[in-house]
Amino acid sequence: MLKKFTRTNEFLILIIIIVLSTVVGLINPKFFSISTLFDLIRASNVYIILAFALLPVVILGGIDISFIAIAAMSAYATHMFLIARGYTGGILLYFVIACIIGGLAGLLNGLIITKFRLPVFDVSLATQTMWYGFTLFFIGATSNFSIPKGLVGYYANYLAKVTDPVTGDTGLHVSIIFVAVIGVLMHLMLKYTMLGRNIYAIGGNKDVAIRTGINHNKVTIVVFVIMGILSAFAGVLQSAFSRNFNPTLFIGQNLDVLAAVIIGGAALKGGRGTVIGTVLGVLLTQIINRSLVLTQIPAEWQKFFIGLVLIIFTALPALRQKRAAKLGLAVNNEVSGS
Amino acid sequence: MSETSVTVKPKKKAFRIEGPTRLLLIILIVAVLFFSVVNGDKGFLKYRSVASMGVQLAEIGILALAMMVTILVGGINLSINATANLGVVLAGYFLFRIYPPVTSPGMTPIFTQINAPANPSTISLIIGLLIPLLVGLVTGVINGLLVGYIKIPPILATLATMSLFTGLSAGLTKGRTITGFPTQYEVVAGKTILGIPLPFILFTVLTILVAILLRNTTHGFKMQMIGTNETASEFSGINNKAVIMRTYMLSGVLASIAGIIIMSRTMSAAYEYGMTTYVLLTILITVLAGIQAGFGNVFNLYIAMLILQVLSTGFQMLLQGVRGSTFFKDFSWGVLMLIIFIINYFTRKHKSSNQE
Repeated sequence: MLKKFTRTNEFLILIIIIVLSTVVGLINPKFFSISTLFDLIRASNVYIILAFALLPVVILGGIDISFIAIAAMSAYATHMFLIARGYTGGILLYFVIACIIGGLAGLLNGLIITKFRLPVFDVSLATQTMWYGFTLFFIGATSNFSIPKGLVGYYANYLAKVTDPVTGDTGLHVSIIFVAVIGVLMHLMLKYTMLGRNIYAIGGNKDVAIRTGINHNKVTIVVFVIMGILSAFAGVLQSAFSRNFNPTLFIGQNLDVLAAVIIGGAALKGGRGTVIGTVLGVLLTQIINRSLVLTQIPAEWQKFFIGLVLIIFTALPALRQKRAAKLGLAVNNEVSGS
Repeated sequence: MSETSVTVKPKKKAFRIEGPTRLLLIILIVAVLFFSVVNGDKGFLKYRSVASMGVQLAEIGILALAMMVTILVGGINLSINATANLGVVLAGYFLFRIYPPVTSPGMTPIFTQINAPANPSTISLIIGLLIPLLVGLVTGVINGLLVGYIKIPPILATLATMSLFTGLSAGLTKGRTITGFPTQYEVVAGKTILGIPLPFILFTVLTILVAILLRNTTHGFKMQMIGTNETASEFSGINNKAVIMRTYMLSGVLASIAGIIIMSRTMSAAYEYGMTTYVLLTILITVLAGIQAGFGNVFNLYIAMLILQVLSTGFQMLLQGVRGSTFFKDFSWGVLMLIIFIINYFTRKHKSSNQE
């Protein structure tokens, strides 16, 4: 059991996270504090949800880059719609409307991909360009800072609060509940439902899956609707955190999310990927991005070091896989971790 | 067509215009006609606007070539723009070393201000242009090592090197823009030959060279083999690693040429020039041109580039004064891509049902 676990990709990332945290903590002891942890969790929450949106698509064997445009479009359109009607309530209605818009946008991707048998990447490139252009031209081109009353204090809606003498008040944000619920549901869906098993089957070998009678089109469409809904959810959450609604939210970050999902053990060719691995992948990339601030490296050199660290951490699994292939061992190919 | 391709069997289809190419050509002609009618009074087909289109599309077009060669071997190169910027930043660093600005004693001159004399030595000018090309080669070697030898998925490896190269430029310039390049460099983007802007000629020549590489050389053939089936090409005796390495080196050099054109046009070098848009735009062009691993026609890329530029300039002229008008082109590109995909689907379907 334990031996099996040590061979998984999740274990490798966990080790990398621990080593990296130790190194950063040795350079700057402030890293080991509750407030750093809470900040890290709050910053990661949105990206974990985005990564969850992408995960089923990647397992299915596709690379989608339009999910961030869907997130930006849904959140911004919802906000402009509600503000125009003088809405003053809370975030719940935001989530509902945005998720409907996001789900429809995801459905469009799914329909085009299945109906015209097109590669996921190509279609998502077209729809991402289309949605950003659509939002900026037809809805609005500037960030909107007029937040309804019910949303004003949302960014500081903490479950537990700590007061740090240096950085001030911070806490465990309620959004961790969303992440936990979505994560558990996603895990159960992937592992125990027909839909989830079908996603892995199609990602593993599409032709075989279709011959065994799996309705490939239906599964694909459902996966893209889920992607749209979760992206929109993340879009609203991020906007509520940053206290403004931005038509170019997340722009240029799609590949960072994809990298986190892949680092988390999902295979680019499909058929492999887990919820826990994805969470660890996002945490690792967030730690890399945020911990450099705590070291003594000057700001203008940070991107350089992020690049270096990324190369090392993507080379490790690649080298391991190469060695395993040389030795004739099967790398842990289990479809669902644990 | 010259008859030099002795090693390759004479191809019957060499000059037949294929379906996707025909579709792209039709779209280009329709777009040009449409905009010259609706924008007639604004001078869409006037020499000035055509020439400025020629300069604008050349740098992105050459970056798209750099992207294309890596996609052909089943990879991708997200670091092209970072390579372009790093090349000219390092060239700027060199020129700054030999032509530092005058400062009061005891002060260290700020890097980012080159104090080039009116007549700098020819050697320094040439070295200034060779540095970016060398940088292109070196970045290509790094990408080639990571992708070909260590076997990191290309999308991750080049995402990491994008951050690495951008970070290096940012660190060297401390996030500032380098200015004061020798005015002699203005020639690259500013000169016209027979009225045609030099960047556009460069783009055309490079397109033809890449076409010859893919069609008439064994390296080009091997590239397409690897893109089609990596395992099969390995077993048929092709040194995959070496071919991938050379492809990424080519990609790096092409990217650095685009960098030189950008430097010449803006007369400056910035670590993040075009960072958020250019890479995605080049992928968009390759997808629009129907370039996939192992398959791809360079001339489709050339036409696709022209289409995007015509749409971009055309809509900008048409919607002048409308709020957010610059963003309508993005919307139009996305919709156009979907339309092309769908038309290609129906022509494919039509073709296969005819054959049965």
